[in-house]
Amino acid sequence: MAVIEGPVARAEATPARGRGLHPLAWWAWAAGIAVAITRTQNPLVIALLLAAVVLVVTVCRDESPWARAFGAYLILGLVVVAVRVAFYVVVGLPDSSPVLIDLPTVPLPDWVDSLTLLGPVHTAGLLGAIYAGLRLAALIITFGAANALANPKRALRSVPASLHHLSTAVVIAVTVTPQLFTAVGRVRRAQRLRGLDARGPRAFAGRLIPVLQDALDRSLDLAASMDSRGYARGTTPGGGRHVTAALVVALVAGVLGTYALLDGAAPAWLGAVGLGVGAVVAVAASVRAGRRVDRTRYRPDPWGLRENLVAGCGIVAATAVVLGGWLDPGTLSAGLTPPTWPTLNVAGVVAALAAIAPATIGGGRR
Amino acid sequence: MIEFRDVSVDYGNGPVLRGVDAVIGEGELCLVVGPTGSGKSSLLGAAGARVPHFSGGRLTGTVLVDGRDTREHLPRDLADVVGVVGQDPLASFVTDTVAEELAFAMEQLALAPTLMRRRVEEVLDLLGLAALRDRPLGDLSGGQQQRVAIGAVLTAQPRILVLDEPTSALDPAAAEDVLAALTRLVHDAGITVLLAEHRLERVVQFADAVISLTADGVATSGDPATVLAGSAVAPPVVELGRLAGWDPLPLSVRDARRTAGPLRERVLAGSSAAAGGPGSEGTTAEPGSFRSASAGRSAGRSAARSAADEPGTPTLTADGLHVRHGRAHAVRGVDLALAAGEVVALMGRNGAGKSSLLWALSGAGPRSAGTVRTAAGADPADQRPAVARRQVALVPQSPTDLLYLATVSAECAAADSQADAEPGSTARILGSITPGIDPGRHPRDLSEGQRLALAVAVQLAAAPAVLLLDEPTRGLDYPAKAELVAALAGLRRQGRTVLVASHDVEFVAQLADRVLLLADGEVVTDAPARDFLLDSPVFAPQVAKILAPAPVLTVADVRRALDAGAEPESAP
Amino acid sequence: MTGRGREGSAGGPRNGRRGIDSPGVDARAVPIGRRLGLTLAVASLLGVLAFGWPLLVGEGAVLSDATSAPLVLGLVVAAALAVLGVGFGDGGIDVKAIAVLGLLTAIGAILRPLAAGTGGIETVFVLIVLGARVFGPGFGFLLGTTTLLASALLTGGVGPWLPFQMLGAGWVGLGAGLLPRRARGVGELAMLAGYGALAALGFGVLLNLSFWPFLLGTATEISFVAGDPVAENVRRFVLYSLTTSLPWDLGRLITTAAGIAVAGYAVLATLRRAARRAAFGPPAEPVPPRLTTAGAPPPTGPADR
Repeated sequence: MAVIEGPVARAEATPARGRGLHPLAWWAWAAGIAVAITRTQNPLVIALLLAAVVLVVTVCRDESPWARAFGAYLILGLVVVAVRVAFYVVVGLPDSSPVLIDLPTVPLPDWVDSLTLLGPVHTAGLLGAIYAGLRLAALIITFGAANALANPKRALRSVPASLHHLSTAVVIAVTVTPQLFTAVGRVRRAQRLRGLDARGPRAFAGRLIPVLQDALDRSLDLAASMDSRGYARGTTPGGGRHVTAALVVALVAGVLGTYALLDGAAPAWLGAVGLGVGAVVAVAASVRAGRRVDRTRYRPDPWGLRENLVAGCGIVAATAVVLGGWLDPGTLSAGLTPPTWPTLNVAGVVAALAAIAPATIGGGRR
Repeated sequence: MIEFRDVSVDYGNGPVLRGVDAVIGEGELCLVVGPTGSGKSSLLGAAGARVPHFSGGRLTGTVLVDGRDTREHLPRDLADVVGVVGQDPLASFVTDTVAEELAFAMEQLALAPTLMRRRVEEVLDLLGLAALRDRPLGDLSGGQQQRVAIGAVLTAQPRILVLDEPTSALDPAAAEDVLAALTRLVHDAGITVLLAEHRLERVVQFADAVISLTADGVATSGDPATVLAGSAVAPPVVELGRLAGWDPLPLSVRDARRTAGPLRERVLAGSSAAAGGPGSEGTTAEPGSFRSASAGRSAGRSAARSAADEPGTPTLTADGLHVRHGRAHAVRGVDLALAAGEVVALMGRNGAGKSSLLWALSGAGPRSAGTVRTAAGADPADQRPAVARRQVALVPQSPTDLLYLATVSAECAAADSQADAEPGSTARILGSITPGIDPGRHPRDLSEGQRLALAVAVQLAAAPAVLLLDEPTRGLDYPAKAELVAALAGLRRQGRTVLVASHDVEFVAQLADRVLLLADGEVVTDAPARDFLLDSPVFAPQVAKILAPAPVLTVADVRRALDAGAEPESAP
Repeated sequence: MTGRGREGSAGGPRNGRRGIDSPGVDARAVPIGRRLGLTLAVASLLGVLAFGWPLLVGEGAVLSDATSAPLVLGLVVAAALAVLGVGFGDGGIDVKAIAVLGLLTAIGAILRPLAAGTGGIETVFVLIVLGARVFGPGFGFLLGTTTLLASALLTGGVGPWLPFQMLGAGWVGLGAGLLPRRARGVGELAMLAGYGALAALGFGVLLNLSFWPFLLGTATEISFVAGDPVAENVRRFVLYSLTTSLPWDLGRLITTAAGIAVAGYAVLATLRRAARRAAFGPPAEPVPPRLTTAGAPPPTGPADR
């Protein structure tokens, strides 16, 4: 088997233990930057944050497949900007700013009333579309950065005990998928031996069935092996009445909170309170449910100084932008009518510096 | 440690085990033998409480494991008493790396982290896995994986290990590796082992007790030599002992060699009588001579050659064949020619390039340089797969990859139409290899041997001149191997060419005319099978090792030599 | 597999293994009790709010900002999914269901990238629908969520859209598991293909809806306007959908239906064989009657929840 395996076999490299940061540290950093990006409309700040994120990824990422996916996020970001601009040009709403290009209006049949295609392109609208697109792209790329830097397999090890069973299923899936990829290639080669060289959905299905059968047969072996190794031995059988009740309460609070956030008439605090109460109850229920799963962890990923620093950078970035906007609302956006160069204040610089700092702390390159 | 009291198991189709009584003592290595389908897995499952809690079915009688009744304990409750290891290590892994897999059982038992660290280190040392600690499990070799699977149950410190054919999914080198680790566990760590294993020749010498099952699930247990004397399944050394009437039956080559003096003389006499006999020098082999096996082989081959248009024209030739997989140079300049009616064995260690060579010859695998020609002068790689397989067909290492339909009959029908063969030909071929397979069964429910037979039949439906088999004996028990030998010998009689990559010396000894030994991608030996196997201390089969210098390879050879030795005495 | 193949295939009558037409084999690998059902219902209500927010949001509401709303709601949906996960896991899940879930999730995770990139071809719903059909609604919900999660983890596709995708795919699986159990044969395939088509379209529309303001902003004629009458927003949303994602939605619809029609029979047969071998569900153990000959052990089974 070893010799004839295709190149897909080596799809991933698992980093050695004890190297690299705790994956949740990267997520905390990215979340902080995402908050910062959503709290400002200043394109200069956003561009700085974006540059910081890209730089950190370039310095800190390794050779894993999810790290390689970062390029796709950059492309996606460009696409988002392009889509925004294209939609503005085609079906944008007019405003009072100077007209940049006066495109002819395309007449539409009557049944699509109140829609005009093309027409004059205004400076403010166009700039707004570009800025908004940039902001969106920066958000998406920030998520891509977290994906690229945090090893998802290690992130799964940090799941709370109450989600132990489901996370086990996901761990199995994530572990087995590369092997199944290899199996698909193996079956395809074997079926060519049989003279089956067809393309199309039927051939694809024929190739999938043996892999599916293998996987299912294997799942029973796996279950037997897990069972014999004591899996779920420490789980108290039967659900807890209190836990379920608490879960329902948490969800109801969540529904109310969300509704309050969406309803214009509701007071602003109601949503936050609803969601907060829901979160607290849910965490309590999760802790209680987790106590019913008696297991320990072998060498859990340590959360040390470097993790604190990286997560802290995210928090600083978010705080700086929020505070900066609160103290000086003018710096939160760039003027569109007339277009003015956005101003950069201290808060923006601090946020960008905080965002870029993990490049020096989090270098987990092997 | 384990006690079976009148245990019967029934899955609703009649009992699989009937009234088994057996006791396995502390620190014993107990071997479970029996033909395929005799309930070995059920017996082992009962010892780990998987039967009936996990597998369903009905179990009557009592199974006590370290004093615990399996009726009252689920498999998971026995995790610290019994460790159960299956056939395919990769299928049992939950996590990603060696150390995490070793720790999995302890995490479930909620052991303290410091204790876990210590035990992981201990088990890593015990099984020689320390250097692999952080490696991804998928990158390990089969033997290493199976050792990790054993380690993964050992960390819970069970006093009993139950292993269900732990080597059947492995190649022989890996199997050796695993079995060596097992015997070390028994001897050094004092663990009680209950083991089902079809590679009896490797383990029987270490066994303290044997439970032998018949096809209908009746068990005999006791001392290995006694039980094996009457067992349906036995390794060559035991068969030789039975033939020679040795008592007590030797179980290892070493023991047998010490007893074998007189027999060796008789066999030597028999073979020289045959060699000096009147018919031995010509091409017409005298029936009954000990060489009749190989003589029959060459006779069959020349018959096939004369039947072909151009006698001696090879059915498959390769010149300067190179295969590269990325940076790895798997096959380096192989030249070979295969004749009609010839069975050639391709041997060599793991990673020597056997699979790559077979795939390149079939035209379906990558080839970076060199030419391959069939008898018609065509290159199989240039032809559509459906055409190429009429000249060269390959049965890959995992034959199930060839199968994708829900019943045996559907597979046969599909194979007929894909090969443009007459309807029913695949089923006929299948019937001639392994009779009596229910056509309505799911191919995955067949035994390993039946599945291989089905894959071979599917490939033979296109009537290829050359059949390539990649490691076909993996997971086969002795009867299934005998069936395969008979089927391939049948192909030789039809004038087909068979090239079989195998590690299995006993199998090669029974079948091959010629051996190609591959090392590091190059052919280092190309010799007649008999010369090669007798000459090499590594590749010699058990019978040859016991009776050296007598030129015999199999028990059948010995029987013929004895007959030949007896003839001159009776003739005058 | 020597020996194992035959002996391991216990639980079903040996002659009844032909085809998929044997009734009564479909299992409920992850049963949904009353309490879990209630949790699921409330979580789904929360999901409806999150998916449909552009139509529901009032003028001047806290979340009327087009960029941050999907992020906040994504977080809320993620939390709701976690809560559901706790609900499903509380008290344990049959270990066989976990293993089958893990392996099917892996299959789904390889189906996604195999098909991705080629406009609108989305094969993952085929597996989710068929898996849910055989293993029941609870399993179907979990399969939908874990498949999307695992494939996002493997390809690095975690983002604010992921919780929405997980919940949407979970609903697809849940619905497929709740379809009438009686149908078999061609009727069953037709029903599943039809459901698959609808579900795939619905999935696309819902995701589109929740990310409509996010992607388009507010400065175009087909943008959402917070607080506008629902009908007006729906009209603009339909226009937006027609101009942007229609080809993808149609592609997903067609590939799902065609995939179920082409591969459905074989995949169902394979899944049912596995379900039969796994023998899910508490009453599936025929052991106790004779087991209790000596003493009276508690009737513990593999699925004692």
